Amino acid sequence: MSYALIIAEVRRGVFEERNLDSAGIAALLGKEAVMLIPDGAYEAGNIAETVVKVKVAEEVFLNPLNLKNILGQVFAARGNPDLIVFTHSSFGMESAAYTAGAFGFPVVTDVSGYDKEKGVFLKSYYSDKIFGEFKASGGPVVISVRSGSFKEFAVDKAAKAEEMEGAAPVETRTFVEYVEEEKADVDITKADFLLSVGRGIGSKEEIPAYEDLAGRLKAVLSGSRPVIDKMWLPKPRQVGTSGKTVRPKVYLAMGISGAFQHIAGMKDSECIIAVNKDTEAPIFQYAHFGIIADIHKVRDKLKEIVG
Amino acid sequence: MNILVFAKRVAATQEEELRIRDEGAAVDLSKVPFKINDWDNYSVEEAVRIVEKTGGTVTAISIGDAESDEVLRRAIAMGARDGFLVSSGEIFHDPGVRSRLIQNFIRKENIPFDVIFTGVQSEDDQFGCVGGILGACLGLPYSSMVIGIDAVEKDHMIIRRELEGGLQERVKIAVPCVLSIQSGINEPRYVSIMGIRKASKVERKVFQAADYAAPASAGIEVVRWTYPEKKGGATMLTGELDTVCGQLLGILKEKGVFQ
Ligand SMILES: Cc1cc2nc3c(=O)[nH]c(=O)nc-3n(C[C@H](O)[C@H](O)[C@H](O)COP(=O)(O)OP(=O)(O)OC[C@H]3O[C@@H](n4cnc5c(N)ncnc54)[C@H](O)[C@@H]3O)c2cc1C
Ligand SMILES: Nc1ncnc2c1ncn2[C@@H]1O[C@H](COP(=O)(O)O)[C@@H](O)[C@H]1O
Repeated sequence: MSYALIIAEVRRGVFEERNLDSAGIAALLGKEAVMLIPDGAYEAGNIAETVVKVKVAEEVFLNPLNLKNILGQVFAARGNPDLIVFTHSSFGMESAAYTAGAFGFPVVTDVSGYDKEKGVFLKSYYSDKIFGEFKASGGPVVISVRSGSFKEFAVDKAAKAEEMEGAAPVETRTFVEYVEEEKADVDITKADFLLSVGRGIGSKEEIPAYEDLAGRLKAVLSGSRPVIDKMWLPKPRQVGTSGKTVRPKVYLAMGISGAFQHIAGMKDSECIIAVNKDTEAPIFQYAHFGIIADIHKVRDKLKEIVG
Repeated sequence: MNILVFAKRVAATQEEELRIRDEGAAVDLSKVPFKINDWDNYSVEEAVRIVEKTGGTVTAISIGDAESDEVLRRAIAMGARDGFLVSSGEIFHDPGVRSRLIQNFIRKENIPFDVIFTGVQSEDDQFGCVGGILGACLGLPYSSMVIGIDAVEKDHMIIRRELEGGLQERVKIAVPCVLSIQSGINEPRYVSIMGIRKASKVERKVFQAADYAAPASAGIEVVRWTYPEKKGGATMLTGELDTVCGQLLGILKEKGVFQ
């Protein structure tokens, strides 16, 4: 029977909101949805026709090797679905690829649109500067969906509950423990005004000048992932999916292109101002105000005016 | 420990204006500079560091046209012993095709390894798939988002995976395995032009991708390239730098974050 299999993303007892996007694309494609979820008291809502609780612990379920065995059981019992949907997250990215490889299914990740007429999935290339229309053939297609792209299509469904036993956990990859982030000197999620710098600042040597500007503007300095990766700023200052989600009154982004992992962490700011020398930088699509200029010149001019 | 590390040459498009050609058939990259995929740079560095501690070798492998030799030279300059180019003029957008090509290449050429590293994702296509598909095809345990390697033993490794919001998980994974390395795991060493010149003297082997192609049964193809849909967008502040900065400060005052 034709159905969409949704693999729920859960973490430490929480049913992630992004699962709504998975439900949304299943609805958009007009598929009956079966959602797999591990054992636990998750608030999954009524977003699938059937919710199958797999009687294994969360850490077992979130392991792509175990998931492969669980999926094998599901396919044997229900037949192959048309579509297998993951969230585009640390879990979904890992497991979508592994599932596709294990079963020889086609895969498209980071799907942010679907053209019903043409039957093609829209996928970002070159950090959102170009999109590819992808057609899949030969078997159920595995996709991971970009957070925020399809939730509006999710509808209330029956959510009939079922249970299944999970295969015995593998021993070649096992969960050991969670590791929390280091303590921060400042909490960027509490700031009203963030001055956020990206790879565009060019080098570590530029940091003090931006710190100085932040000080004069009474803003808190934060950054995009590359700035933290290069250790120009400490990890707790990172904005984005693998960093912090912030909602300041003003988010001033300098030299940040606007990759979705960054946007997801700041898009709900009250006012976003972006400075970038590239007129096509995707961040201008999310900003309220934009300036096309060299960030260093803007920085120096602001300092000059503010004194 | 013998580590195979995959390195892709990608277009550096962050500051470029990209144009679509031939009514959506291709993206014009003729004027765009190319470089090693950022994630692969971290991955080569991590492999070299491990081998410096435990002994063994690092072999860098790239699939691409002749120009991809550039990333192999760079990897050798960083400490890889060998560089293999699986040569093809064709771009394989489907990560499944690339993974199966790699699988066949490793098997047919009998390339020994304990661990395979890829980057978490390619900067250009952002699939994040080649490592995971390859791991499954080879029947090996896999982990992506590897942000730390805490212990390397003969039969297993203790690694840290990066999750959302700054959280990590520690995982025990059996060797041999495939790992996809996340950016920020280390501080990649500086590679000088001199270093690359010296690396050029080390022979790189070239193989023909056509010899390892797998019969395609399931897959994906890109039918058309498009520009992103415009979402309204920002109000642009224009004029002289003085004016623009004045306007910016005006907005800050209006929002009440600056007096
Ligand atoms: C699993 C995963 C998780 C991730 N998590 C995060 C996350 O939490 N946060 C995050 O930010 N990213 C995250 N990323 C990375 C993300 O995909 C992008 O790579 C990153 O956001 C790019 O950062 P950037 O915009 O600073 O750099 P780039 O994309 O390199 O952009 C630099 C920008 O600066 C501009 N510029 C350069 N010089 C100047 C100048 N002199 N004047 C003006 N403009 C200039 C350029 O035009 C360009 O637009 C994650 C990726 C993955 C795979
Ligand atoms: N053409 C290629 N040559 C070498 N390595 C590649 C190639 N394509 C993908 N990879 C590896 O697989 C990782 C993930 O790629 P992708 O699935 O395209 O996002 C990259 O970081 C590389 O390490």
